[in-house]
Amino acid sequence: MNRIILLLIFLIGQGAWAQTTAPTKREVIGRDIGQLKGIKISGRIIDAISGEALIGATVTVPELDVTKITDNNGSFELILDRAEYTIQFRYVGYETIDYPITAVGDGRMSIRMLQEDFQLDDVVIFGRDPEKNIRSTDMGAINLNMNTIRELPPFLGEIDIVRSLATLPGVSQVGEASSGLNVRGGGVDQNLIQFAGAPIYNPSHMFGLFTAFNADVVNDVTLYKAVVPARFGGRSSAILDILPKAGSVDKWGGDLMLSNYSGKLSLNGPLIKDKVSILGGFRLSYINWFLNSLSNPTVKNSQANFYDGNLVISAPVSENNEFTYSYYTSYDDFAFASDTTISWKNTAHSLQWKSKLSSRLSLEALGYYSLYDYGIFNQSGINDFEIKSGIQDLGGKLFLGYNFNETNKIFFGGEFKQVKIQPGELVPTGAEQEILPQKVQDELGQEAGIHFQHEFELGEKFGFSYGIRYDTYRYLGPRTVRQYEETKPVSDGSAISETAFGEGEPIQTYNGLGPRASFRYSFSKSSSVKLGYNKMYQFIHLISNTATIAPTDVWKLSDNFLEPQIADQYSLGFYNNFKGNIFETSLEVYYKDLQNVVEYKDGATLIMQNHLETELIPAEGQAYGVELYVKKNLGRLTGWVSYTYSRTLRRVITPFEEENINNGEWYASNFDKPHDLTLIGNYKVSTNTSISATFAYNTGRPVTFPEAKFDYSGNNLAYFNSRNQQRIPDFHRLDFSVNFKLKGKGLFFDGDWTFSVLNVYGRKNPFSIFFDDAENAPPQALRLAILGVPLPSLSYSIKF
Amino acid sequence: MLKRLINLFLLLPMACIDPYEVTVPDGQQLLTVEGLIHTGPGPHAITLTRSDTYGSVFEGLIRPVTGATVVVRDDEGRITFLAEGQDSRGSYFTPVGFQAEIGKSYTLQIQTADERVYTSLPERVESVPEIEDIGVKTVTIPVEGEIIPRSGVQLISEINDPADQNNFYFWRLSPVVHVLEARPDLFTDREFRTSAPKDCCSVCYRTESTGNQSLFIAQDDNFNGLNTRIPAAFIEDNGLRFVNTLRVDLKQYAISQEAFRFLRLVKQQAEISGSIFDPPPATIRGNMISLDNPDEVVLGYFMAAGESTRRIYISKADLTFQQNAGIIPDDCRTVSGASVNPPFDWNP
Repeated sequence: MNRIILLLIFLIGQGAWAQTTAPTKREVIGRDIGQLKGIKISGRIIDAISGEALIGATVTVPELDVTKITDNNGSFELILDRAEYTIQFRYVGYETIDYPITAVGDGRMSIRMLQEDFQLDDVVIFGRDPEKNIRSTDMGAINLNMNTIRELPPFLGEIDIVRSLATLPGVSQVGEASSGLNVRGGGVDQNLIQFAGAPIYNPSHMFGLFTAFNADVVNDVTLYKAVVPARFGGRSSAILDILPKAGSVDKWGGDLMLSNYSGKLSLNGPLIKDKVSILGGFRLSYINWFLNSLSNPTVKNSQANFYDGNLVISAPVSENNEFTYSYYTSYDDFAFASDTTISWKNTAHSLQWKSKLSSRLSLEALGYYSLYDYGIFNQSGINDFEIKSGIQDLGGKLFLGYNFNETNKIFFGGEFKQVKIQPGELVPTGAEQEILPQKVQDELGQEAGIHFQHEFELGEKFGFSYGIRYDTYRYLGPRTVRQYEETKPVSDGSAISETAFGEGEPIQTYNGLGPRASFRYSFSKSSSVKLGYNKMYQFIHLISNTATIAPTDVWKLSDNFLEPQIADQYSLGFYNNFKGNIFETSLEVYYKDLQNVVEYKDGATLIMQNHLETELIPAEGQAYGVELYVKKNLGRLTGWVSYTYSRTLRRVITPFEEENINNGEWYASNFDKPHDLTLIGNYKVSTNTSISATFAYNTGRPVTFPEAKFDYSGNNLAYFNSRNQQRIPDFHRLDFSVNFKLKGKGLFFDGDWTFSVLNVYGRKNPFSIFFDDAENAPPQALRLAILGVPLPSLSYSIKF
Repeated sequence: MLKRLINLFLLLPMACIDPYEVTVPDGQQLLTVEGLIHTGPGPHAITLTRSDTYGSVFEGLIRPVTGATVVVRDDEGRITFLAEGQDSRGSYFTPVGFQAEIGKSYTLQIQTADERVYTSLPERVESVPEIEDIGVKTVTIPVEGEIIPRSGVQLISEINDPADQNNFYFWRLSPVVHVLEARPDLFTDREFRTSAPKDCCSVCYRTESTGNQSLFIAQDDNFNGLNTRIPAAFIEDNGLRFVNTLRVDLKQYAISQEAFRFLRLVKQQAEISGSIFDPPPATIRGNMISLDNPDEVVLGYFMAAGESTRRIYISKADLTFQQNAGIIPDDCRTVSGASVNPPFDWNP
């Protein structure tokens, strides 16, 4: 059908289309001014249908044995002599184009490649470049293209970016309803999640049941879990970089998806033909509508709403300059049969300018503003109130790259951001004044970083990348800061005085030098070994005593009590591809040392707490693991096996014995799950039908069991002493999905029906085991299972 | 039809909570102290028990600690001996006439039958504001799978919080007295299963301890110095209590900051739901220490508090929602705690 569309476009007559597929006649490129050498031919490769840039496509000049890879913009550049060539353009999942040219002068090519899905029996789940895992010096950079993610069984009817990442080695989630990711033993707050360059604090809907990013507007997802390029900083474990798609500059199109939980629509097309494109996406859940139509009072009184929306305006104003504006928002509110509603909302704006200043020097400048607002609203009729909290980030980044040649590049730049946190403001909303308005002091911090990185290769065998990042952070007034007696644990009782800092007055400053280095040795074209080291600083902390990101959490900047989190990571990896990259394997080992991780005193009060230092204790952490990964990229059956053995431990030793946790011994962190296995398979039954299945197994996470029961005020209470000494039962779950492609049912529709079942054999995987003395039952252990039954979902999606 | 199908998907009971068999460590037999002395009339009780393995009574039985010597000592060195109850073993009562005094500090001292000695940290008695009035609010609690929700009456304490001090509140209820309506005319002889109407009695006054479903505590951080209303107790409607009139005394205590922190942890644990919002289990540390072995863990808390109390009669008309009235097809006097005569001071 794509062909039919193409044919139509051909008939309408667009000159540019002559370049789409291989021309029969050799084409002369450039203006002939008699140039013989150093002819520069640049170009851009896009999808012929959607107009999206094809990132990582290969451009080969067989006559010169030169291969180039297209950049994030789909652009490439060749330096040729005056001669005839047959340039080959290849991209996974697309028809290869052999393009005969005669290069006579500097010029430009515009290549449109066609997906070969209508004739493809095989599924291809390469990332950008089939040999990248072997050749690049990147370590632990996982790039998932949307095609890969689409082959996984959908979660509740939808493709889920965050969950897809959790199927990879070294990446896990706390449980079935939890936001965020735990990367190599780090907490959920140790990942910087950025959408189009702007930080996002809560990446989920409905407490993690859904990811708050609409997969239809996402182009590319990269997770850096080991050696993070020096351009990224501010979080100590990992960076999740999500880039939105750009709209097409020449035709309108879109995606529509309807599932039994939510619907989404995205549209894109030229705002100004060939100059400015726009892409808009919106996703809405209709769960609430159903809840309200039910008679069960518990359900009827509940509400759950969410939506998210995107807007991307992209203007390639000239050959070498492109401006992109991105807007992202997501919203949730939730009330479960009660008078209390909780809600949260992310908003992010970013404006990016990408420029090729010369053939060697490129520049990216980005400014962003992001806002995360969340609140708790009590409308019980007595002492009604709302607690509002928020985080506001305003920042800019500058990133330059200079190519000495293809294998010798430097990158440098700087970054600045200001973070303002409103930890909580309680506003009485009742008719009578029965409670006092209350406000926890706002926090203000400034972070600046400069970075430099050098990547080069020595011959085919050796690759090096080293970089350095210098971060400086200031914690600023206005703020009243307490001093405490040094001989006693920090508590309300040991406060001795207070100092008031004026507006903009620095209260505390921290600096950090973060080296990054990796080294690659290639045994052959298909196997290599890499070694890496990484140091990262983090000046913001998620203060939560639940195991996941929730709107009841507080984010806190580093201050004179809470020092920045620091992570040192050492990693070693072996990479081997077999059978012409059909199989990709890797074995990675890492050790991570964490400083100043936050732990909590027993029964800490975190909400509306003006003196969080009285509730927190700094902990040391260490994490180590082995990650095994085998992936089959091509064939009717594709998929991967990923297995991780890892530990993530914490230790709390303070000058005061009574504050030590577990007597100062190492203990398992809340998300320590030693064995973690994922099997994913996708089988192409026929041209139009595929099935996929995911099986996941991991060790149950740690839990604290009571050491005794005792009686107080008529309750049988549990006496807990040592933290995290037992584990909940192991987790395992099988998910399954079938996908049918509808073909030819209407000229402009190309639909997919996906039926999936989550938790096929209905295992009641515990999210938690807790101890309760409920009425009419003995004190006992109870299991909370979030997905206790097989959960089917059905979705229909069309592309137009 | 389509909607029904989709509803079916949604209605699947996705999440569930069920009992789960785990092996918990063998519990230690730790001394547990529960007690509150206050400025109101006594006797005030101190209860001593020993903890055991977590789980049902078959896993471990919490036993009373009997035969201990229990004294309360004030900061002037005055000592009051508590006597173990005849019918309630392990509970020790202050003598008639004992009342704590505002401004004084008290410590609890215990010597168990095996000669081990324990003491509390001193607890200071703070003054407590009066309960200006008691508000009544009907509360319904939806129950999964039931059409009729649970319901009951929330008592709301109206107070003038003093502006010049940091106050910590704790509320308890006296036993309730309510009119009990029975239907002796519906009595059936169990043996012969025949109707055997009785002449008496259809109206009684029943005294019962309802306890408190959850702990009611508050601190004045967000209402310091205000005239405010705080939910202070809850009495569940069991279909019998609110058919006519119910009487209860609400007792309001001013407790110490440490006692408040302790009760907050107790409350937190008692209200745990296993959800993703639950705080992790916390060690509930009390104010009791062993003098023989400082490392010995002693559970529970000894409190000393100022007390104010206020009585309320709640009539059926005060409720906006009621459970269907329960029917007792017998003489009302057969119900435990019931008597045909109202209490001498019954004065609705």
